[in-house]
Amino acid sequence: MRLETIFVVAKREYLQRIRSKGFWIGTLILPIFIGSVTVLPTLFATKQSTRETLVVVDETGKVATELAAQPQEKDGKKSKSEFVFQLEPPGADRTAQRAALDRRVLAGTVDAWLWIGRDALTSGEVEYHAKSVSKVFSQDALEDMISASVQRIRLRAAGYDPDLVGKLSQDVDLKTERVSAEGSKKEVAIAGAVFGYVLFFMLYVTLAIWGQQVMQGVLEEKSSRVIEVIVSAVQPFELMMGKLTGICLVGLTQFVIWLTTFAVLSLPGIVAAIATLPEGVTLPTLTPLMVLNFAFLFVLGFFIFSTFYAAIGASFNSMQEAQQVAGVAITFLVIPVFLMLRIINDPSSTFAVVMSLIPIFTPLLMTLRIALEMPPLWQILLGYALTIGFIWCAVWVCARIYRVGILMYGKKPTFQELWKWMRYSG
Amino acid sequence: MTTNLELRDVRKSYSGLVAVDGVSLAVPEGSIFGLLGPNGSGKTSTIRMIMDITAPDSGEIRLFGQPRRREDLRRVGYLPEERGLYPKMTVMDQLVFLGEIRGLKRRELVPEIVRWLERVQLGGRGASKVEELSKGNQQKVQLIGTVLHKPDLLILDEPFSGLDPLNQELFRELLVEYREQGKSVILSTHGMELAERLCDSICLISKGRAILTGELRAIKRQLGGNSYRLVGDKDIEESLERLRALPEIEQAVVQDGVAKLLLRPEADGADLLRRIVGFVRVHEFRSVEPELEQIFLKAVRDAA
Repeated sequence: MRLETIFVVAKREYLQRIRSKGFWIGTLILPIFIGSVTVLPTLFATKQSTRETLVVVDETGKVATELAAQPQEKDGKKSKSEFVFQLEPPGADRTAQRAALDRRVLAGTVDAWLWIGRDALTSGEVEYHAKSVSKVFSQDALEDMISASVQRIRLRAAGYDPDLVGKLSQDVDLKTERVSAEGSKKEVAIAGAVFGYVLFFMLYVTLAIWGQQVMQGVLEEKSSRVIEVIVSAVQPFELMMGKLTGICLVGLTQFVIWLTTFAVLSLPGIVAAIATLPEGVTLPTLTPLMVLNFAFLFVLGFFIFSTFYAAIGASFNSMQEAQQVAGVAITFLVIPVFLMLRIINDPSSTFAVVMSLIPIFTPLLMTLRIALEMPPLWQILLGYALTIGFIWCAVWVCARIYRVGILMYGKKPTFQELWKWMRYSG
Repeated sequence: MTTNLELRDVRKSYSGLVAVDGVSLAVPEGSIFGLLGPNGSGKTSTIRMIMDITAPDSGEIRLFGQPRRREDLRRVGYLPEERGLYPKMTVMDQLVFLGEIRGLKRRELVPEIVRWLERVQLGGRGASKVEELSKGNQQKVQLIGTVLHKPDLLILDEPFSGLDPLNQELFRELLVEYREQGKSVILSTHGMELAERLCDSICLISKGRAILTGELRAIKRQLGGNSYRLVGDKDIEESLERLRALPEIEQAVVQDGVAKLLLRPEADGADLLRRIVGFVRVHEFRSVEPELEQIFLKAVRDAA
């Protein structure tokens, strides 16, 4: 085996892919997508406050006044949705009154009107009429205010003091803190799970994409008939390892770009700018040690799946044929997805430890565990050692199939033939 | 005689099917060697073993006077029958890559590639993607990729298939140039006419066996005396069936109004002429050197 040949092949694979527009579109689309579905709406939703003028017609004669008296602030901060209520008594001709209110909404003199029916206190239903009924945030806030008003009236009618009941039934707030070597940090409970989830899927997507790319690359070399020219100068093992190394580096480049985007977005300053967090509370952040582990787990995961993809690509003549068998490799990539929720719930359980030490699951499940809670060093090292051993065996088997397969054209090989290729010595 | 390549009793079988059955041959320095045989005769299998793409079951392969080592293959240029290029790569990147996998450096490759592209009238196309070139031009790029590292032995498997006459001439010039430089060329083909024009030595392979090996001139001399040229006064094709029915004749073909006859080894030319004058008015009847195609057909038939 000549390292310089592997390097030449890897360089070609890397440069060809990194220079293509497809790589950059594929790489930048995820950060742009995440940015557009999380950051921007949060930015607009949290920074912009709305003010709505509503006409309230109250047939009960109680709710509207209670509603107008509701404080429009939460935890001492002004609410993002502010309402101006114009109370109007119900007219004699209800149909004409409703039509007149609709006209005012259409003319833009008011934003919406509320109709509180006679039985609103028992049925719990209130009508809301507006040009747009998709203002989710302000409608939620309005619903909360009406609910609170109705509850206060009901409590008073039952002989209770609403303020006292409010005090006595106050929720308990669980203050979550992540314990780590750097000291305790206040962290939003769901954020830890989301953090693990995002990293898990980032790795899942890159492994699936670049494994497929290996298979496609091998098939293209076969179908363009360039393979025989190459193997006359490069040994099939060198070609396979060069190809895997080159594409692995492309995938790693993409993974690092995504990790960097994620790391930047989770910086305390950025988080504070895009989301309102209670004082002293942070979101999980990527430490350099974590990045190093994730990059290494990516390389391990890539080599596990891509060696199989390379052998599959070499064995078949078209993408359609190869895809049928590639499904088996994908199954092993998908199983961790089903195990994920149980591991998120208890990342240090025996189940989580055992599953994350099975080599074919280690890259994805160890990534998840590291993101949730740094496992003991011995578990990480054992996971790495077992996976490297497994990769060594996989490379040995797949290189043998690859060596024969790349020069075979024509019919689809049977499993007996693949077995024969594996044992074939020259 | 110094040989660049020598095969000694090389065998190869796939799943019990014998592809190469004890082939021995020697390719001298400064010669063009024809590896000839019908499709599926074992030529490509033989070449793949020479190139270490597959390993022989038994026998020995010697390159440049010693048992073949992997690094010696860097002195060999190989153009396989199943050939292709990376369609999305530029011509320059492609050729640099083909040079680099043979241990050359980019800085020494680039001026050489530019020179070659000029020579094959592809100057200025270095930045074009391979898929943008015509098929003929792609074949020129492939040829450059084969000779770029200045190999001492060139192995070309069916190099002329799909080439127009202009490109065929370009390939032919190159082979002759190689021979003049004291290098060797192995030409695997089933096109006899071209092989006859170019080859110094041949090895005829049929069903995996080398059925005729040696210097082409010597082979022709050896088989000479049994080959005749016949010119009649009317369209000789009309008499072809009668000629073929004669007991002395093993093979008879007509080309451009001239019949080429190959006699059975025991047949006598004078006896044959006496029979022919019975139905053809003969203008010319003379012993000639047999053509390679005749030798090929006869040898394959004899081997069967």
